[in-house]
Amino acid sequence: MRRIEVRGLSKRFGGRTAVEDLDFEVGEGEVFGLLGPNGAGKTTTVRMLTGLLRPTSGGATVCGVSVDGDGELLRQRVGLLTEQPGLYDRLTTRENLRFFLKLHHRDTAPAWEEARGWMERFGLGGRENEPCGALSKGMRQKLALVRALLHRPEVLFLDEPTSGLDPEAARTVRDAVAELAGEGRTIVLCSHNMSEVERLCGRVAVVKGRLLAVGTVPELRRQSGAVELQVQGAAANAGLALDRALPGCPWSADGHRLRVTLREGVEIPDVVAALVQTGVRIHAAVPAQRALEDVYLELTRAGAEP
Amino acid sequence: MSFRAHRAMAVAWKEALDLKKNPGLLASMLALPAALVLVPVGIIWSYVHSPDDVSLRTIALYYDPSLPLHASAARFLVEKLLADWFGLFLLMPVFTPILISSQSVAGEKERRTLEPLLAAPLGPAELVAGKSLAAVVPAVAISWLAFGLFVVLVDAVAWPLVDGPVLPNAMWLFGVGVVAPLFAFLGNGIAVLVSARVGESRLAQQLSALVVLPLMGLVGAQLAGWIRAGTGYYALQGAVVLVLDILLVAASVRLFDRERLVSRWV
Repeated sequence: MRRIEVRGLSKRFGGRTAVEDLDFEVGEGEVFGLLGPNGAGKTTTVRMLTGLLRPTSGGATVCGVSVDGDGELLRQRVGLLTEQPGLYDRLTTRENLRFFLKLHHRDTAPAWEEARGWMERFGLGGRENEPCGALSKGMRQKLALVRALLHRPEVLFLDEPTSGLDPEAARTVRDAVAELAGEGRTIVLCSHNMSEVERLCGRVAVVKGRLLAVGTVPELRRQSGAVELQVQGAAANAGLALDRALPGCPWSADGHRLRVTLREGVEIPDVVAALVQTGVRIHAAVPAQRALEDVYLELTRAGAEP
Repeated sequence: MSFRAHRAMAVAWKEALDLKKNPGLLASMLALPAALVLVPVGIIWSYVHSPDDVSLRTIALYYDPSLPLHASAARFLVEKLLADWFGLFLLMPVFTPILISSQSVAGEKERRTLEPLLAAPLGPAELVAGKSLAAVVPAVAISWLAFGLFVVLVDAVAWPLVDGPVLPNAMWLFGVGVVAPLFAFLGNGIAVLVSARVGESRLAQQLSALVVLPLMGLVGAQLAGWIRAGTGYYALQGAVVLVLDILLVAASVRLFDRERLVSRWV
């Protein structure tokens, strides 16, 4: 079931285009990564999907609610964790949470117990009466996450949720994200932390003003323009044969493994056919995989802003 | 988005808690009332201390050349001071909400608390109402408490001269009860409006505080004898301010558009 549907979503501020023609979908219980360099339009996209900004053109629905429709209903369904925790420093952790419970009309004993449960889980137990200004950066971030969960949102937008957290706290947050997704919540994660994205996200969109790529992490890693072949005999000989049959494709050999970089106009079947023609026996041919970070850097360097 | 009172009350609740925990702001809120209560009491004390001083009669005759020879100049000046002082007393309900609202509205931007707040189901009118309530109620409460203290001190000091209470009188009761709350709304409305545009609490405070200049001008005109202050005069001021309050509320709600705030501030 689709929780988020984005169709041709665009946003312009005066003459500047922040986001252009975005298209993607996110399903129930899915953790969806939104990757892109600073200024790529990730935050603008999240703000449009949470009803904080109106799209200039195109549209989107979140939990079936149009983002330029009933803002109140939309904001009841979504939770937002901003990069800056945005807590009231003079107020205690309890008062900060109670304020948002009141806004959501949930300032009840059971709701507070639920909030306390989250606090316990994030290591904030017993700190209910401490002013937020006295909390460490990591604790503030975790408290902001608790705040985003208070009204049981179906969709959570998390902007750099583990930024500034120590490894243990970051793991707690990651575990919580995975568990929330397991409960059926949809999570959109904006992050620069590639290992975190690889670990948590089912699918990823790379944006830089416009959508550069979208797919699962393995799909994106395979978008490398190279093929790895398992050949019979020395791979170096196969490489030399390839030079004669299909010139201009750089290759490297390691034992029986041959890695061929595809030049423009050449696809994997062309390489396989050329090698077979020269009499090379091929046991396996798979698209080469690269680190997500390399794919991300290649996409964002190549992707011109609109 | 429909207006829900519980959300406006939640904002007011949060602002009240925040104010309670801000001793610096509380101290600055009390400084002006202290001055506005103690200064006239000191002046009245000086009249009472030397009621037969000839210079008092000279001053009194400047304001009212028809003052009878047997009438007490000191008593005349006490009554004149109390009539004019109310103009200055109105600075209190104007200035106190400016101190609070500048912090609470522009402070949301400075503390980066605005985006999570706007992501909650809270409408512009609820936000403005909650913040205004949290600024206007303390301003009116302080004005009323200061008035109570003022009445006690003035009567205690003036008693030997007038042989009875001079306050509260009808003008002050009407002014403090009706006109002061209208002025509190004016100070708050201006601070909210300015804060929504400049987004920095100190600048918002400084710009909003300029609203006291016309008031000071009016008081100056009273002291110069060009304007004769009384219940009718303050009622007219209140009527003008009521119209301004309505316009300011409408403008504030328009300015608190989510898109505008997020684009400009966050």
